[in-house]
This record gives sequence, structure tokens and C-alpha cells, in this order.
Amino acid sequence: MKLLIVEDDADGAAYLAKALCAAGHTVDHAPAGREGLMLAAGEAYDVIVLDRMLPQLDGLAILRTIRASGVKTPVLLLTALGGIDDRVEGLEAGGDDYLVKPFAMAELLARVNALARRPPPQEQATLLEIADLRLDRLARSVTRGGARIDLQPREFQLLEFLMRHAGRVVTRTMLLENIWDFHFDPKTNIVETHMSRLRAKVDRGHVQELIHTVRGAGYCLRGPD
Amino acid sequence: MFRSTSARFATLYTAAFAFSVLLLGAITLWTTHNALAHQFDRRVRAESQALVQEYRTEGIEDVLQAVRERERTKGALFYGLDGPRGSLAGRLSGLGAASGWSTIRMKEADGDVERVRVLATPLPTGYRLIVGDAVKRNEAIEATVLEGFCWAFIGVVVLGIFGGYRFSRDVHRRFANMTAAADAIIQGDFNRRIPVLGSGDDLDRLAGVFNRTLDRISSLMDSLRQVSNDIAHDLRTPLTRLRQRLEATRNMGTPAEQEAAIEGALRDVDAILDTFSALLRIAQVESGARRAAFRTVDLAALSRTVVDAFAPSAEDAGQALRFEGDDAVAITGDRELLTQMLVNLVENALRHAGPRARVVVQASRTGDDAAVSVTDDGPGVPEAERTRIFDRFYRLERSRSTPGDGLGLALVGAIARLHGATIELTDAQPGLRVALRFPNVTDGSTPAKSV
Repeated sequence: MKLLIVEDDADGAAYLAKALCAAGHTVDHAPAGREGLMLAAGEAYDVIVLDRMLPQLDGLAILRTIRASGVKTPVLLLTALGGIDDRVEGLEAGGDDYLVKPFAMAELLARVNALARRPPPQEQATLLEIADLRLDRLARSVTRGGARIDLQPREFQLLEFLMRHAGRVVTRTMLLENIWDFHFDPKTNIVETHMSRLRAKVDRGHVQELIHTVRGAGYCLRGPD
Repeated sequence: MFRSTSARFATLYTAAFAFSVLLLGAITLWTTHNALAHQFDRRVRAESQALVQEYRTEGIEDVLQAVRERERTKGALFYGLDGPRGSLAGRLSGLGAASGWSTIRMKEADGDVERVRVLATPLPTGYRLIVGDAVKRNEAIEATVLEGFCWAFIGVVVLGIFGGYRFSRDVHRRFANMTAAADAIIQGDFNRRIPVLGSGDDLDRLAGVFNRTLDRISSLMDSLRQVSNDIAHDLRTPLTRLRQRLEATRNMGTPAEQEAAIEGALRDVDAILDTFSALLRIAQVESGARRAAFRTVDLAALSRTVVDAFAPSAEDAGQALRFEGDDAVAITGDRELLTQMLVNLVENALRHAGPRARVVVQASRTGDDAAVSVTDDGPGVPEAERTRIFDRFYRLERSRSTPGDGLGLALVGAIARLHGATIELTDAQPGLRVALRFPNVTDGSTPAKSV
């Protein structure tokens, strides 16, 4: 994927670029708002990673400008630690996701992948299918190999989220934010508990495991390659 | 002092009052003058008509008689009767008054000349009747009125200047006191407050508002100082541990050992960042800035979400967590912070209440108040320590070994204060019940009262 990083901290940007390149992406870097704006408007990127605090031109101002000029590229905002109002402001300005600094690189990679619209997400489909697992969003039913699986409402939401992001890594915090609307990190391992219950219902008794744990990052639902 | 606003006001008011008195005097004088002149003319005309009537019924002899009699009455009008061949009777006769109204000069017995306004009426057969009165009688009344107003004018000006001086001196003194207090605060004396007289007037109220503002600012400064102290004190320990761990890594032989040490160091850094972020969050909540983003929030729905999120983990640990209460409990607040508050309370209960604990979250509405509570059946908290558990980094002696940074309940306290909620800690016999009461949530759309 082709990514744009708009970040004024040279060391941080270099580190980010290196990690993203290592993950197989092509990365452009803009050290300041103006270059960022020019690149974002001119080139076709899959995802833009935008720091909120930039010299000259504020990150949110750039975001509003590129959205106003019709650029629909998904934007991941990086915000400073502790700014609890930043998220709402950032999303209102047209951001698609936000990440609080400092963050684990695995978290950033997962979010960039989740944001990228390539391959096209199955967001509108009513029927999600991975291998022999089928989820009907209208009937709210799940079957595996034709056998019905009974899920609690939360478990259904979890599975739906995983299937919509099939083949990509979904992190703990992504699940906390999207399933429970928790924008902070509880001390209890609630995600692990819910995942292990879901896993027991989806994978137990099947040779082919669909829900995988990605060490140090999160979870990934994928069929046999 | 004469540059002060109050002095300018006083001067302006004195001038306005003096001008009003002048205007009032002029109007009164003019009205009095007209009324007196009117009355004068009416009296003279009535007297003339009476005498003319007498002439018509009784003849000239009776009129002559009447004029002579009336002249002798004290305080009466002046009269005159001229015949075809000269004056007949009365002091006004023979002075040559023309027919109709006129003002003539009359010589007094003592030689003074008196101005008299007269009405001369010609009678048939060459006679002429003259009736009039001294002009100075009206002038004397007008002079008295004028004099009265002059005194009133002087009184207003003197009182205005004196009262204005007193008023502006008092106000000026109070403003000077306020300025001095504000200057002292600017110089760094943050305990100084603006003097309040207790009269309850607008300046007192203003001073009260200033003082409350200062109280708020100094409490924010205290909180900031507290945060700095906390960071300095409580982050030093984990940072020291981290440093030691990294130092030890240098001398480690195998890559596996090094990797394990780096993992450990990362965990340490994450823990430090968590603490740091929690401290910042508490400080932000305490600053009150979030109040601007308050919306209607359903406490019951939030409680159900939190219970639903934590119930499986609790079950795995052999504990029970459930929700009880109303379907919907609407209050005005910050959804994200209230969620975190409930999560912290539930986590706290599950962590400290022991392996087979039963934890109940309740949300309800009583009258105008909404309440949410978390009750456990664990060992509880000794009464003496109940208020202290909301302090930053405070931990019960027996909880030192359980994980936790001592900030969870501090954040709960800050969020409750932000929402104007009161926290009640009671003995659940056994266990601890933490109840938060949100007052006056009448329709869920009124903003919470400021703390």
C-alpha cells in the first residue's frame, strides 16, 4: 500500500517509515503541514497518517482542508497522550481513526491495514462468509459447516467485526473501542475472556481454526490459505 | 480620585439635578405669574361690572357713594370716577386712563409712585369708571416663589457636591481596596482575597464572584502542584526499576535472556505510561473543561454495558457480577468519563472483594436524583479510611500486593465531582457499597450544576 506520513518529529517519522516499509508498504513523509497538504491533495494514497500537532499548519486544519477539497483517503490521526477531547474533534474534522501516542507499532500497523480500502471491505454485505463460517447480519444468525452457532449479542458483534476485517489483524484496543465503546484501557482482560468464549463456540470441534491470536498485536480471523 | 468613575457619575448627577431644579423653577414661576395675572384681571373686571350694574339700576350718585365707601376699606382695590367735567371721586380719577386695560402711575401719599393696572369703563352720559390694583402685589408673590427656588437650587448643588464627594470617596476606597488585593495576588500572594463588607450590594457580589474565581484558580493550582508532586514521587520508583532492568540487560549473555529483559522493560514503560495518562486524565477532569461537552447519558444502559463486558471475566474467576435497577436513568454528563467511572468501580470491587465475591451494580431514579452504586460482599474498607481511598496513590495496607496504581478511585472521585455527584461509602455488611448520587436531573437535559 502507498502511505503518507505527516509528522514533524524526524526521528519518530523515520522510525514509523521504517516499520511501515518493513511491513511491505511504500511510504512518503512530509515533515510539515504545507508539504503534507500538497502531497495529500496531489497523490493517490491508501492511508494518510497525520500527526495532530504540527508546526505552521495544525493537523486538524490540514484534515479539514483535504476533506473540503474532496479527498476521501482514510486518515489515521496521531494524538498526544492525555488529550481526551482530541478524539471527538479529530473524528468531527473528518478523521477515520485515531491513535494516542505513544503506541505499539503493531497497533499502528493493524489500524493502517484496517483503514485501507483495498481489498474492498465487505461492509455493506448482509452475508459474511469465511471458509465454512457464515454470518447473516439481517437474520443475526451464524452457522459453521451448516451447523447453527448460538452467540450472545456481544459475541455476535465481535465475530461480525472480525469477519469484516477478515485476513487483517484486529487489536485489543480496536475491539474495546468498536464493540464496547471503551476509549481507555481497562485493567481486566475482558477482551481475552470474550474472545476465548467466542473461539470456543466458533472453533471448538473443528480441525481448521479460524480465529488466530497474533502475538503482541491482537487477533485475526482468516480461512485456510 | 476625581478621575474615578464614581466622581464623574456624582458630578453628572449633581449637574442633572441642578438643571432639573432650574427648569422646575422656571415652569412654576411662569405658571404662577399667569395664574396671578388671570386672577387679578378677573377680580378687577368683576368689580367694574358690579359698579356698572349699580349705575344702571341706581344711577351715578350711588356709584359715587360706593366708590368712596370701598376706597376706605383696607386692602381693597383702587377706584376712580371721572365726570364729563373732571374727576369726581377715587384715587384713580383724573389720571387720564384710556378705555380698556392699561398700566398707569399713581402717586402715593408719601410721594412714592405706584404702578397700577387698571380697567377703565366709559359710562353713558360722559362718566368713566376706573378700577385697578397695584402691580407690586403680584410681583411680591412671584418674588417669594423665585426666592424659594433659589434656596432649593443652592441646596441641591451643595447636597449634590457633598453627597457626591462622600459617595465617590466610599466607592473609590472600595475599588482601591479591590485593586490593592488584586495587585497583591498578581505579586504572588494567592491567599489574599478581595474584602467583602457583607452589605450584599453589587460591589460585594462582584467581590464575592472574584473571590470564588480565585478559590477555583488556587484549587486548580493546588491540583497541578499535586500532580507534579505525584509524578515526581510515584513515577520515580518504576523509572528506577526500569533503569536497573535495562542496565542489567547490557551484561546478559544469551539473546533469549535479553529478549525477556526487553519484554519486561516494555511492560515497565507501559505501566509508567498508564500511570502518567491516568494522572493527566484526572487533572483534565478536575479542570472542568469537559463540562462543555455534557450530553444526555443513560446510566442504566452504561451500567448494563459495563456489567456485560466484565461478567465473563468475573465468572471465570469464580465471581458473580450482575445489574439491577431501572430500565433507563437519564442524566446529563460525559458518556466516556461515566463509563470509565463505572469500569473503575467494578474493577475495583472485583479486584478487592476476593475470589467468590458477588458484585451488584444498581442504577435508579428517586425523585429528582439519579443514583448508581456498586456493592460487593468482600472485606470492605475500615470506616477511618473510607474518605482517603479517593486520594491519588492511596492504597489500603492489605491491598499493597494486589495489582493497581492507586489512581482508579481518584479518577472516580474527580469524575463524580465534575458531575456534581456525591459519593457515599457504606458498609454493605459484609462488603463495601459505593453509591454516587447525581442531584437534580429533572429531565436529563438541564446541565449539571457547577461544583
